[in-house]
Amino acid sequence: MSRIELETVRKRFGETAALDGVDLEAREGELLVVVGPSGCGKSTLLRCVAGLEAVDEGAIRIGDREVTRLRPAARNVSMVFQSYALFPHLTVRENIAFGLVVREEPKQVVLERVAEASALVGVGDFLERRPYELSGGERQRVALARALVRRPDAFLLDEPLSNLDAGTRVQMRTELRRLHREIGSTMVHVTHDQVEALTLGDRIAVLDAGRLRQVGTPDEVYSRPRDLFVARFLGTPAMNVLTSEAASPFLQIPEGTVLGVRPEHVRITTDGVPAKVDIVEVAGSDAFVHLDRGLVGRVSADARPAEGAEVGIAFEREATHLFDEATGERVDRP
Amino acid sequence: MSERRQLVLMLAPYAFGVSALIALPALVTFGLAFTEYDLIRSPELNGFENFRRLAEDDVFGIALKNSLVFAAIAVPLRLAAALGLALLLHRRFTGVGAYRSTAVLPTVIPDIAYGLVWLWLFNPLYGPINLLLRWHGDSPTTTAWGVQPPQWLTHPNDARAAIIIMSLFTIGEGFVILLVTRQGLPSELYELAALEDATAWGIFRRITLPLMAPILLLLLARDTIFSLQWTFVPALVVTEGGPPPYSTTYVPLFVYRNAFEYLQYGYAAAATLVMFVLTALIVWLQWRIVRRWRKGFAVG
Repeated sequence: MSRIELETVRKRFGETAALDGVDLEAREGELLVVVGPSGCGKSTLLRCVAGLEAVDEGAIRIGDREVTRLRPAARNVSMVFQSYALFPHLTVRENIAFGLVVREEPKQVVLERVAEASALVGVGDFLERRPYELSGGERQRVALARALVRRPDAFLLDEPLSNLDAGTRVQMRTELRRLHREIGSTMVHVTHDQVEALTLGDRIAVLDAGRLRQVGTPDEVYSRPRDLFVARFLGTPAMNVLTSEAASPFLQIPEGTVLGVRPEHVRITTDGVPAKVDIVEVAGSDAFVHLDRGLVGRVSADARPAEGAEVGIAFEREATHLFDEATGERVDRP
Repeated sequence: MSERRQLVLMLAPYAFGVSALIALPALVTFGLAFTEYDLIRSPELNGFENFRRLAEDDVFGIALKNSLVFAAIAVPLRLAAALGLALLLHRRFTGVGAYRSTAVLPTVIPDIAYGLVWLWLFNPLYGPINLLLRWHGDSPTTTAWGVQPPQWLTHPNDARAAIIIMSLFTIGEGFVILLVTRQGLPSELYELAALEDATAWGIFRRITLPLMAPILLLLLARDTIFSLQWTFVPALVVTEGGPPPYSTTYVPLFVYRNAFEYLQYGYAAAATLVMFVLTALIVWLQWRIVRRWRKGFAVG
C-alpha cells in the first residue's frame, strides 16, 4: 500500500497536450477517482503511472520511489482494463495466476494466492472456465482477482465498469467499494461517469483537456465546484447557469458574474417568479422539469407539474453559486 | 427484377468459370484416370490398371517422396518465415511500408520470371549466391571455410535445397494474413504482460503463439495444398526435374511429363487423383487438429 504522486506531469501526442502540468496525489489507502469527459487525458494519466506511456516532463512517485523512468513491471502496480484484457485461451485460474506464473513464483504460492484472490471477488466457483463462458460482470471480477493476486503497491483501474450493463455496473460499483474497504490498498480509478465518481471515490479529481480542475471529496467537489466546468460536469441534470440579466428576477448578482443553481435547488411553487413548464421528463422517483426561462428543475415525480402549466419558481440564495463570467472561476460571496 | 434473380445473374459468371475451368476438367480427369488415352485414339477403360502401374513405377515413387519431403520441410519453414516477418513488421516505424512491400513482392512476380531469376542466382559460376559464398575463399572454387559451395543445379540434395530456398520467398499471402492477425490482437494483453514482467520469449510463447494458433493452423492446411503444387514451375525451369536420378521430379512435374510429353493422359490423370486424395487426407488430418484447438481459443 503506497501513495502515488504526480508532479507537474506533461504528456503530448503530437500537437495535443494530453496532460498539461498535472499535480495530483492519491493518498495511502485512498480510492481516488479521476473523472472527466472523453479525451480529457484521464486514461493517459493512468497509463503514465503504470509506465505504459512515457511522460514528457514531470515526475511520478509511488511510495517513496521515483518511478518516472522505470519500466512498467518495476513499478509494482496492477492494472484493470476496460476491456478486461483476459487471455481467451487461458482458464480463469490461469488468467488469475498469470502474473505469478511469469514471475516464476513457487507452485504452492500460486495456488494459495489464486484461491485467496478468487474467493475475495467471488469467482472461486468457475476457475476452470474460459473467459468466453463468463458474463461481463464475471469477467471483470476475474480481471480484479488477477490484479489482486500479486499484492501490488497500488491498483490502477481504467474505466473497469464501462463495458457492463447498467444493473451490473451498479452492483460492481458497490462490490468495488467493499473490496477497497477490505484490502485497504491505494486505488486510482478512472471513469467518465460522474455518478460512478461521486459514489465510489474517497476523493475525486476532475480533469479537463489535460488540466486538473479540482480535487476534493465528492461532497466538496459537488457542493463547492471550483469553476463552471466542474459545476456543470458533475450532477444530473447539469447545473443551471444564468447570466446576471436572466438571474435578475430571482437575485441581484454582481456585474461580470453568472449564477449557478443545481436543479434540485430549483423550487416549483405557486408563488415565486412566473414560468411556463416546457417538457417534463420522469426518471423513476424524480422528474426533470424544463422551464421556459432556460432553467431545469429536479422534483419528486409525485409532485411534478403538467407540461404547459404556469408555475412559480424560486431558489434560496445560499444554494446558489457565483462564477466569473470571463474565467469561469468560482467567486466567493463576501 | 427479383432479388433471387439478381443473385443468380451475379453469380452466373463465377459459377460458369468454376464449372468450365475447374469442376468439369476435374471430373474429366477423374474419368480419365480409369482409361488409357493418348489423345490420338479414343480413351479405353482399363479399370485400376493405371493405379497398379503407378504403384510399381519407381519414378512416381521418387516424385511422391520428393513432394512429401518438400512439403514437410518447406511448409514449416515458410510458416515460420511468414510469422517471423509479420511479428517483425507489425509495428509502425519509418520505412515499414517499404519492408512490408518487399516481403510481398516475390509472391506477385510471375512464376516463370521468378524461376528464371533464381536460375541466375543459383548459377555455380557467375550466380551471386556462390560468388558470395566463394568470397575470401582459399581458392577460386572454395568458400572461406574451405569447402566447396553447394552445387545447386547438379547435386541432388543441393538441388532439392535450392527448390526449398526458392519457396521461402513466396510467402507474401501468409505474411499478410499473419500481419493482420497480429495487428488484430488486443494491445491490452501485451500491456498487461509488460506490467507482469513477462519476457519477450514468454510473451511469444504464452500470448502471441496461442492466440495466432488457429490462423497458423489454417495457413498450415492452405500451405500444404499450395506446396504440393508449387514445385512445378521451379522444377521445370530451374532444375528440369534433375539432377539424376529424378532428384527434383515432384508429382506435378511427373504428371506434366506423362501427359504432355509422353501422351499418357490416363496415367497422368491417375497420378493426379492419387495426389488429390493424398492432399485431401493431409488437410483432413490437419483440420481435425484445428477443430480441437479452435474450441480452446474461441473468443467470446
